Amino acid sequence: MAVALWEMIVTAGIAALAPTAEDWRAAAQTVREQHRPGELIVFAPDWIDPLGRQHLGDRMPIEMVARMDAARFGVIWEIAKDDARSPETAGLEPVHTEEHGPLTLRRYEREPAEVVTDFTRHFGKADVSGQQVGRARVVLTEVGFEPHRCIQVVPRPDQSAQVRFTAAELGSELVGYVGLADVFTRRDVRDPGRLTVTIDGKQVAEVTAGVDDGWVRFAAATEPGPAEVEFTATAVGANARDRRVCFAAEARR
Amino acid sequence: MTDRLRQLAAWFRALDRTVRRRVTALVLALVSASSIFATQHDVGIARDEMVYIGYGKSYARWWIDLVTFEDGVTSKKRITDTFGGDAPTAGNREHPPLMKTLLGLSRILLADKLELTDPVSASRAATALMYAAAVVMLFLFGTHVWSYGVGLLAALLLLFLPRGYFHAQLATFDAPVVTMWLATLFAYYKALGSKRWSIGLCIVFGLALATKHNALMLPGVIGVHYAYLCWRKGGQLAADGAGLGARLGWTVRAIVHVQPWVIVALALGPLVLIAVWPWLWFDTVSHIRDWIGFHLDHVHYNFEYLGENFNHPPFPWHVVFVTTLLTVPVVTLVGAVMGSVSLVKRAIEGTSVQADRAPGLLMVLSAAVSMGVFLLPSTPIFGAEKHWAPAIPTLCLLTGIAVVQASTRCSDLLTQMRWAPPSSASFIRMGVAAALGGMVVTASLGETVTAHPHGLSHYNALAGGAPGGADLGMNRQFWGTSARGVLDFVGQFAPAKGEEPVPVYSHDAQPAWNKYPKLGLLPPGLPDAGRETAGIAKSHIALVIHERHFNRHDYLIWDRYGTVQPSFVLTHHGVPLVSVYLRENLRGKAEAESPSE
Repeated sequence: MAVALWEMIVTAGIAALAPTAEDWRAAAQTVREQHRPGELIVFAPDWIDPLGRQHLGDRMPIEMVARMDAARFGVIWEIAKDDARSPETAGLEPVHTEEHGPLTLRRYEREPAEVVTDFTRHFGKADVSGQQVGRARVVLTEVGFEPHRCIQVVPRPDQSAQVRFTAAELGSELVGYVGLADVFTRRDVRDPGRLTVTIDGKQVAEVTAGVDDGWVRFAAATEPGPAEVEFTATAVGANARDRRVCFAAEARR
Repeated sequence: MTDRLRQLAAWFRALDRTVRRRVTALVLALVSASSIFATQHDVGIARDEMVYIGYGKSYARWWIDLVTFEDGVTSKKRITDTFGGDAPTAGNREHPPLMKTLLGLSRILLADKLELTDPVSASRAATALMYAAAVVMLFLFGTHVWSYGVGLLAALLLLFLPRGYFHAQLATFDAPVVTMWLATLFAYYKALGSKRWSIGLCIVFGLALATKHNALMLPGVIGVHYAYLCWRKGGQLAADGAGLGARLGWTVRAIVHVQPWVIVALALGPLVLIAVWPWLWFDTVSHIRDWIGFHLDHVHYNFEYLGENFNHPPFPWHVVFVTTLLTVPVVTLVGAVMGSVSLVKRAIEGTSVQADRAPGLLMVLSAAVSMGVFLLPSTPIFGAEKHWAPAIPTLCLLTGIAVVQASTRCSDLLTQMRWAPPSSASFIRMGVAAALGGMVVTASLGETVTAHPHGLSHYNALAGGAPGGADLGMNRQFWGTSARGVLDFVGQFAPAKGEEPVPVYSHDAQPAWNKYPKLGLLPPGLPDAGRETAGIAKSHIALVIHERHFNRHDYLIWDRYGTVQPSFVLTHHGVPLVSVYLRENLRGKAEAESPSE
């Protein structure tokens, strides 16, 4: 009897506990009033993202949503349901918090990473060579069930293709991510891809991106100044067809 | 008031048992069928339904032509054109024909001939009736073996099962296979006491095979149960103190003593399958091999479970337990545990009901076999709990047993503590049973009502409802039925007469999309735009029906539409189910807010 009562009460309360349209409007209103271009907007948990974008999507350019990571953003606005937190705000303390029903709006401030070179943006200056299917290009795609704007290369099975940036301006660190794009290619073929990064001919990073690895981070300390940076994408294995190796990288000061 | 209730209780108890049982069965049938049929209008059309409804009409037409002696109906060409073909899914030959045929007959009768309803609803009426039959069968079995109260509770808990109710509203096979699975078990149970029922078992088992391939597991249930009965009979036949070898020998001999005709019935059941599936009338072995092989080699659809996307074996062994734990009403789960303990206790004490036929063991084996196969890492999990739906009636029955037992104990306690006179004992017992059973059924009903019409997005109170399911990273939905909820919003962009159509990228609702205008649920002029990037490119409106692996469709739309902002988001208790994006020229017209349900 107690279980039945409990179940009835909880079930009846579920709909009542959901954020209302008014809760969303109120939270979004504060963001609209105070948000400046270049400030990141995120939602937590990730499944409320469609609602968040419905209310604030006009303040969220594709480049923001399909970011490599959040490091370059000095201000982060987070709308969260209950106690959820976005991974991008991990370890940060909010400078402002306000509640709207079950939604909590938080604003965070921090020192942003200073980007010296965004390799995705500079792809037009790159030389592409090697064994690939089609041509390497910048795409907006799904990697690890997240959106990313990245350079996509599809090497032939067991082959490599290179994307070379001559005289790229570097800072003190090169940070990047790589993964295999498109869930349906990851289901049908299980072989991984690999990305190798060299600077002036010296290997500084090598990452294997498996079908379940998502968006994999790599980083290397660098010397500031111009350098030749080469990204080599490999489809690992004789059966590794349609490995859509998608990567993004930034040289940071 | 109390006197009136007493009189009502006395009248009820005085009713002839058979009359009471039959009236209750009739009421259950009517309530089940009518409620399911009435509510199915709210449920969008599932992707698979379009296939089954389409083939259902041609299957039914074939049978009508057969009984009206149309020329050439039994020719290989006509059978192949209707039921089969070279491709693995030609004629939908990867699924057996019974339900498709019934869907088709229902549609021809209710929609085409009598024009009582639309073709989709007419087809779904067949499923509603099948599930109502399952509810009634469980009632009759529970009543026959245990008590009226057990049977009634079990039946109501089967009806008010959020996911089961959802599937009962669709023109698919998942609810009907529960019916045929139960029918086979009950026919077997009856056959243990009556040789004549073996004929019924043969027919019903064959029809179960003709419903869905889950039925292939039924011999596993019946075989183990029969082996147990033979073991027990062997013990009776063997001399006292006989060793294991002797006992085994007598067990084997007992096969012909218990009811050997059930073995014959199971062996002949496949002949019934062949009889009702014309595609098997020639090249029988290879066609059966193709049918079973299709499912053994089935493509693995993407399916989110506990935050991970699974599309390739190995699959976690605990999917069957966790999914059941989070989708079946909590009262039914708790009741099932209590009922199991009660059954085990009675077995140990030697006081089990109808012990010679071990009905409790039969139902437990039913659940164990239908769920057990999902412990294998290679077994697909993409259909969630519908894969092991035949297991759930066991949980309902166990809960019925637990509640009735608890009611009896409670009312005995009240009488012992002299809170009620001994003369009122039966009245008290009925009252307590009604109160306890009423609360349990109400809790289950509440979950079912809350789930409607998005049953696949529903998770129980233990999970925290749909939001809890989303937090846990459980599968949001499949089949595209939730698109029904955005039709009003999309409909406002219908072109005026003479204007150009407004193509819609309908995503996972694509097979059903062009059906909605025919049902009057969407204005004309909003045709489906096609698939994938080509469809998105052509579209002016784009839907994403949210599942984790469908995130890619949001991004494809962003790339083409130049915005990440949906104009409308359908939610279920705050959980996004469908996003609708508009091209820039239409955004100004958007008016509606995303409603909370």
